[in-house]
Amino acid sequence: MRVYIAFTKKEIVEQIRTYKWLIVISVFFLFGMMSPLLAKLMPDIMSGMKVEGIKIEIPEPVVMDAYAQFFKNFTQMGILILLLVFGGTLSNELMKGTLINILAKGLPRPTVILSKFTASVILWTVGLLVAVTTTYGYAFYLFGDASVPNFVFSIFCLWLFGCFLIALILLSSALANGTFGGLILSVITLVVLLLISISPKVAKFNPITLTSKNLDLLKESVNVNDLYLPVAITAVLTIVALYLAILLFRRKKM
Amino acid sequence: MSILELSNVYKRFGETEVIKDLSFSVPEHSVFGFIGKNGAGKTTTMKMILGFLQTDAGDIRVCSEKVAYGLTKTNRNIGYLPDVPEYYSYMTPKEYLHLCGEITGLKKEEIQTKSKELLNLVGLEGINRRIRGFSRGMKQRLGIAQALLNDPKLLICDEPTSALDPVGRKDILDILSLAKDRTTIVFSTHILSDVERICDRIGILDNGKLMVEGTVNEVKDNYRTDTLRIELAFGAVCEKVTEDLKKLPFVRSTSIEENKIDIGLMNAQEQGLSVMAYLVAEKVPVLRYEILEPSLENVFMEVIR
Repeated sequence: MRVYIAFTKKEIVEQIRTYKWLIVISVFFLFGMMSPLLAKLMPDIMSGMKVEGIKIEIPEPVVMDAYAQFFKNFTQMGILILLLVFGGTLSNELMKGTLINILAKGLPRPTVILSKFTASVILWTVGLLVAVTTTYGYAFYLFGDASVPNFVFSIFCLWLFGCFLIALILLSSALANGTFGGLILSVITLVVLLLISISPKVAKFNPITLTSKNLDLLKESVNVNDLYLPVAITAVLTIVALYLAILLFRRKKM
Repeated sequence: MSILELSNVYKRFGETEVIKDLSFSVPEHSVFGFIGKNGAGKTTTMKMILGFLQTDAGDIRVCSEKVAYGLTKTNRNIGYLPDVPEYYSYMTPKEYLHLCGEITGLKKEEIQTKSKELLNLVGLEGINRRIRGFSRGMKQRLGIAQALLNDPKLLICDEPTSALDPVGRKDILDILSLAKDRTTIVFSTHILSDVERICDRIGILDNGKLMVEGTVNEVKDNYRTDTLRIELAFGAVCEKVTEDLKKLPFVRSTSIEENKIDIGLMNAQEQGLSVMAYLVAEKVPVLRYEILEPSLENVFMEVIR
């Protein structure tokens, strides 16, 4: 346990000193600020784009528009940032050879995977919390009331998908060599999940549902119960991805 | 007691067999020089000892415990210095040693004491800047400090001096000489003068096979080829003299450099007289006649020939 804590601590120090914390917190804070602001200003922006002969009628913005903007940002740019920030977490160490000394000291290989997962999830969680609290607070300030149904569960779905993606990046890094080793399998999996989500039958089980039904949850057009299955499947897949990453990393030539 | 034992180890990369039936052992408190030209299989052997590469056959034991591929348990008895050590460049030497100490299970006070002692030993005391700006030599020194941190029973150094300038090389050899009092060292290199300086025992690896193993003196005695150097007054006759000498049955090798001829003999004291007799008979004017001390370089060339 002491070794696990020591290596996780090293991971967090690395994230701080290589500016990952600064990048994630700043960008996520910006997302948090922008979402309610854009929602509020959108009618003014649109009315400024008057085209002769066409009358654009935009309804008065509501708090739900802020959350729509928030989930749109996170399920597109947020996931991209996750891939870019965490894509090299294991691949870079394998490429540079920095793990050689540490493994030669007796650090168990599974600890490398588990520590990297823990540190990445911590940063993802803190970043998401910053974004959520900023959006909530700013939406409250701009719209007077920011409370919506199923808000926590909707954020939890997004968070869980992020954790699944991090586990996938680690599995991909353990499987493929090279700087982009961590991204190959992750991107392929994301594309496959997106493609198969077209079928409503598959959508019920698809982890990608956790990033596509967030707003529907707030609007109560989707039942919380409907998402229990993809939540369970995503949680299981995250554990399986981590387990496979550990197995593959144990067999990896150094 | 042997700290390290390799028995009938084989390793193949694709079609190429890089290690063939490798067996040797390293006794406690010795410095074992693992010699071989580039590509002989030295690094592969070391990585198999560390469990970083899988053996195709054979058995490796560290402190009598079997090494298993992918598992790092036996590495708790090992300190390892790679040929080009890579570090977390955003850390200071002290922070890096602290991380290594925590991983090896040392207590906080122990880490502090040992880090201070080892940074002094390698001459990096008081350097608090990040590793990012370190020279090659400084990285090697830090490598030795991290390798010795947990008082390993076996210190494995993979060509620790090959990329260094003469001053850096001397510094690292001095540090290793000091370290040999506290641990057993396996030291791979192709720089033979380094081996002669600090090693007690040597093994010569060629094309994945261990050709020779023993103490430095044993190997020198068994594979000695004396060199007789004669310097002639006129370089023009060197070719003819060399051709004639090659016909003598006891001449093992010859080489010419300007007006000097080096003649490899089994016993230069006795056979040199026959060479001298030939030179007198042929009236070849000689400026200098010298018997050179056998060196490890001669032995190495002889073994891999």
